[in-house]
Amino acid sequence: MKIIINSVETQTEALTLASLSKELNLPETGVAVAVNSKMIPRTDWSDFQLTENCDILIIKAASGG
Amino acid sequence: MLQFITHQNDKFTYYTGASAVLRGGCKWVQLRFKEAELHQFISCAEMIKNECKTFGATFIIDDYVEYAKKIASDGVHLGKNDMSIKEARKLLGNNFIIGATANTFEDVENAYSQGANYIGCGPFRFTTTKKNLSPVLGLEGYREIIENMKKNKIDIPIIAIGGILKEDVKQIMQLGVSGIAISGAILNAQDPESETKEFLKLLE
Repeated sequence: MKIIINSVETQTEALTLASLSKELNLPETGVAVAVNSKMIPRTDWSDFQLTENCDILIIKAASGG
Repeated sequence: MLQFITHQNDKFTYYTGASAVLRGGCKWVQLRFKEAELHQFISCAEMIKNECKTFGATFIIDDYVEYAKKIASDGVHLGKNDMSIKEARKLLGNNFIIGATANTFEDVENAYSQGANYIGCGPFRFTTTKKNLSPVLGLEGYREIIENMKKNKIDIPIIAIGGILKEDVKQIMQLGVSGIAISGAILNAQDPESETKEFLKLLE
């Protein structure tokens, strides 16, 4: 489905935030994720269902930068 | 997104204040404790970190970069007079969030190019929480900064900060910022826990 990650339209196979995190290789620590302006605790990621066009903001250190 | 920045008053300490906003559902806390002794800061940080863990919240410390690993915070926030972002990144590596304070577009640009991960941008209006306040931005100031960011293709989350009240939230968010940071407006409310809920509702 189509989702928006940090203002960029992105296609994903992931259905939950946890699988999206795997898809994006998010680190185990030092990352904060908000969906539609609401911060989602990591403990809720596996239950959190993504929806078409949901607006995801990932705050983390850019890898390599 | 709502970031709570710790403070203290007659009723709440840094810890009990943070605890109240976490109970209210805030998922992002920054420990700002400027006049602390080192041992005081570290013990306070450890207590708030554990509380954040319980609530699944992200925990950032203001300054004290050298201790971020020991404290095991999710990241650090750097003011303009703190360690440089580059230096902090060198120390912390890529598993820590680095936030930076900005008062102008030039600050945003500089923080972005040094590798900051979000910007605390303000002050929106005059506030007594922070000493040595920079000139206030108001809605127009944010509009200009965001326009400049778009023009220069600078894409980094902006968190508006500084004297923000409930009635400001909608207007500020409409400018295209990613979130707001609140300190006094929540801590000094009659009931910070329910005040947090109200701020979160306005951000939905």
